[in-house]
Amino acid sequence: MKADTAPAIPAGPFAIPTDMPTLNRPMNLGQSIDDNTSRLDGIAKITGAARYSSDMILPNSLYARFVRCPFGAANLESFDDTEALKVDGVIEIDIQPKECQYDGQPVGHVAATSPMAVDRAMRALNLKWKKLPVKTQITDTVKQEVPQGEVSGADVTFAAVYSTPVQTHSSLETHGGVVDHRGDKATVYASTQGTSSVRDGFGDALGLKQSDFEVVCEYVGGGFGSKLGGPGKELMLAAKLSQKFKRPAYVMCNRWEEHLDTGNRPSSMTSVKLGLKKDGSVVGGEIRTWGGTGVGRGGGGVAIPSGRYDFQGVDKKHNDVSFNGGGPRPFRAPGHPQAVFAEELMLDEAAALIGMDPLTIRRKLLKDDVYREMMEMGARLIGWNERKPTGSQKTAMRIGYGIGTGGWGSASPGGSAEVVIHQDGSVESRTGTQDIGTGQRTSMGICTASAIGIPLSLVTVQIGRSTLPPGPGSGGSVTSPTTAPTMMAAAEAAKKKLLEHVARQANEKAEDLSVKDGQVLRRGEKFLSWKDACSKLTAEGVTGSASTGEGGRGASQGVQFMKVVVDCETGIVHPRHVIAIQSCGRVICRKTAESQIIGGVIQGISYGMFENKILDRNTGAMVNPNLEWYKVLGPNDMPHIEPVLWWHGQTGVKALGEPPNIPTAGALACAVYNAVGSPVRHLPLTPDKVLAALEGAAS
Amino acid sequence: MNNFAIARPDSYEAASAMTRDRTYKLAVLKAGGVDLLDHLKGGLIDPDVLIDVRRVREAGAKDPVGISGGVIRVEAGATLAEIARSDELLRAAPVLGQAAGDAASPQVRNAATVAGNLLQRPRCWYYRNAQFPCLKKGGSTCFAVEGENRYHAIFGPGPCHIVHPSNMAPALLVGDAVVHLTGSGRKELPLSELYHMPDKGVMSENNLEAGEVVTHITCRPMPNSAFYAIKEKQSFDWPVAAAAVAVELNGATITSARVVAAAVAPVPWWLPNVEAALKGVDVANDEALRKACAIAAEGAKPMTDNGYKVKMLPVAVRRAVLRSAGRPTEVES
Repeated sequence: MKADTAPAIPAGPFAIPTDMPTLNRPMNLGQSIDDNTSRLDGIAKITGAARYSSDMILPNSLYARFVRCPFGAANLESFDDTEALKVDGVIEIDIQPKECQYDGQPVGHVAATSPMAVDRAMRALNLKWKKLPVKTQITDTVKQEVPQGEVSGADVTFAAVYSTPVQTHSSLETHGGVVDHRGDKATVYASTQGTSSVRDGFGDALGLKQSDFEVVCEYVGGGFGSKLGGPGKELMLAAKLSQKFKRPAYVMCNRWEEHLDTGNRPSSMTSVKLGLKKDGSVVGGEIRTWGGTGVGRGGGGVAIPSGRYDFQGVDKKHNDVSFNGGGPRPFRAPGHPQAVFAEELMLDEAAALIGMDPLTIRRKLLKDDVYREMMEMGARLIGWNERKPTGSQKTAMRIGYGIGTGGWGSASPGGSAEVVIHQDGSVESRTGTQDIGTGQRTSMGICTASAIGIPLSLVTVQIGRSTLPPGPGSGGSVTSPTTAPTMMAAAEAAKKKLLEHVARQANEKAEDLSVKDGQVLRRGEKFLSWKDACSKLTAEGVTGSASTGEGGRGASQGVQFMKVVVDCETGIVHPRHVIAIQSCGRVICRKTAESQIIGGVIQGISYGMFENKILDRNTGAMVNPNLEWYKVLGPNDMPHIEPVLWWHGQTGVKALGEPPNIPTAGALACAVYNAVGSPVRHLPLTPDKVLAALEGAAS
Repeated sequence: MNNFAIARPDSYEAASAMTRDRTYKLAVLKAGGVDLLDHLKGGLIDPDVLIDVRRVREAGAKDPVGISGGVIRVEAGATLAEIARSDELLRAAPVLGQAAGDAASPQVRNAATVAGNLLQRPRCWYYRNAQFPCLKKGGSTCFAVEGENRYHAIFGPGPCHIVHPSNMAPALLVGDAVVHLTGSGRKELPLSELYHMPDKGVMSENNLEAGEVVTHITCRPMPNSAFYAIKEKQSFDWPVAAAAVAVELNGATITSARVVAAAVAPVPWWLPNVEAALKGVDVANDEALRKACAIAAEGAKPMTDNGYKVKMLPVAVRRAVLRSAGRPTEVES
């Protein structure tokens, strides 16, 4: 391998301050409406005052759980519920024997007056399972083979196989909810990313018209894609039981069930053959991908080639592979992190073959100048000039640098909102979307306050109810791009009505009036205080409404730089520093926007280093269905993460939910490769694999 | 989980009597309740009474940890947090505070007690999963042998391949600790005799008799001692290999060493060959130190997926030796 030499980093198009404060540095290249507002519901969340659906322990409630297959494949041949039915508090046991194809597959349910009674009945069921042979991973079906042969016309041909494990969403609040069916009315407390889609998804299951029930989801303890869509099997069961027994029904997964049967990011295998010229250009090759979708059909796509790099003549083929595991669900940029891991590491490895620096080959192959500019900035911020050639370090603690990129495009589904200005000057923003952790309440409040011209303290935000004007589902990173312009339009409409009312009463022209800093102005001069202006309203106040239709598809770009220290005696990877540059459009609240980026990076590192749904190779049962052995990174594993909001003149609000999770694992893998001198081609980057890579580098 | 009663005896003697009370089907001692809660949630045990000894102290015992007459004394109910923050211990036996402070999370350390840490059951994912009828649950198979064994033992003949989970056991062992008991004829047991290998009985890991309750633990001061754990995650994770070391030094030369490895065998694993090899080694002599520690994994029989521990163990030992001699490891330098 030739030693790659780090190229000089030219002066970027942007001036970068030399003294970079570590927190809240003035690095916002875009415009934000608000800089530093903390979440309006932050105190409620950390004190426990916020009530999640899982907190809805209603009087006289019944509790239910699914009876589940304990093996990867097994036939429930018989059961005897005689003893289980005798357990005090048991209300219903319904089991349908069948052949199961994954650990956690439901075969029925137990309902009782307490979770303990459910548990006791479960253990008394006397289920007789006949185990069947299992497949637990892609390679049980597809052989892992490095492609052979040279690419014609290439100076060098690079070939390798990469793989990523199954990642579970591990939402802190598990899946499910509570249905309180009262005969002619019902309330559904759902832990969901789609308040409206849960309502629509019930169909006839509640035996009620949509006008007679309400879906409530004031807070969600994480979803990451797994809580999109309709009610899900948990809420459907709750609906059935609540309707049947006319009492509230509580069905929430426990942590175990959450890992087994609420979806996942499918595993992947990517085999590549890449032909390069000595100048770094790609002249051909093939990429084959396989997605490990468990029992799911579809959803295993791997977004490689990403399209960000110029890969001339590279063919792509994909197949989903079934095995005895739970099926996938959308997971924060489906198909992307697994693709970026393979694509970025493949680029670094191929570049090393021709003695080229990772930055140089990316400059050469990137198709879009935005990425190129981001890359120059990131290189300067991380200190790329300090990077040592891959494999050149011999010390125990080695420093590595890596680059990852991410692209995202999604179309806004449209939504509705209304803003009510009350007689006392208070303002209510209403939209039926939900907050899966993005800070919707805060950003909706800021949109309303800024569109009207009043302090945020006057605004109360209502979200998470199906009786509110319908908002978008929180998927595809479209929530804020949809709700922000809608809420602003509703606020503008309400303000217009207020000013027209004030103008009529004061014999003024509405167009002469405006609102700024909580004052009503007349031709730019102070006219009335906000409170005085609102006091002229009638008791019902004024309401402004707005709806937006389906929007265009927005594009979003991101580049991340990772610096790691690898302990080459133990194989432990210590991420130290991340620069996360993300195109952002118009930022509503910089603090929540940066928090989104930081969260995406954290989840990406966790994916790259730890997360792994491990199925026992013999029984197909998950051996780590908890947060003890399904490892998720903790505070001591977090590097210093610097989000950089990259503004490119856009006026619209851009996606920030999924994009910052895309580049991270790829950047991490490249950084480890740079430090160690030999790649780890299979996530997660656990010390056993790093140690094995070190042996590979040494030989 | 079934309903259970909670008893709050005011002495260990009373607690011991309760464990032998035949009125109950299964009486279980509860201190911090950390491992107990995991067992209850996992459906692994079904006690009808919990005997809460969390606030019990021996008559006359004031502080959770103390030193008098050249003996370190740790009350059974001392929490890991109390051990980790004791300045007195930090000087007299740094290995104890390091082992305690490295375990679990701040929340767990605030609840977990030293006796509970010594007597916790293994974390093997087959044992902890009620649906695997493994040897420890009276079954006939160790599922790790042909299954997922990346975190299992590299030492020991089997038939069960758990790793001993406690940080405190190896740390106390290098100080020749003694476990003090009540509830039976014997008043004390050397910590080195507390545990047994799976081939001497697979349903339990320790040699306590029914009704025996740990009251406190004593060990000798060991000012040159240290604990080093290699963990995949740096927050809230179990070590994949760890070592506790106590040395005596003449200048920079080791005159005697006690070395116990953790997370590699079903019991805390003495490394007498390393102890012998360390004698006479100048800790400033990197090559000599590496050579002495390289034999730490001698005799290991790794399973299919845990061969990496063979590479890690000598590193953990060497870094613990460096720390015990007050020298920086690679991580600090």
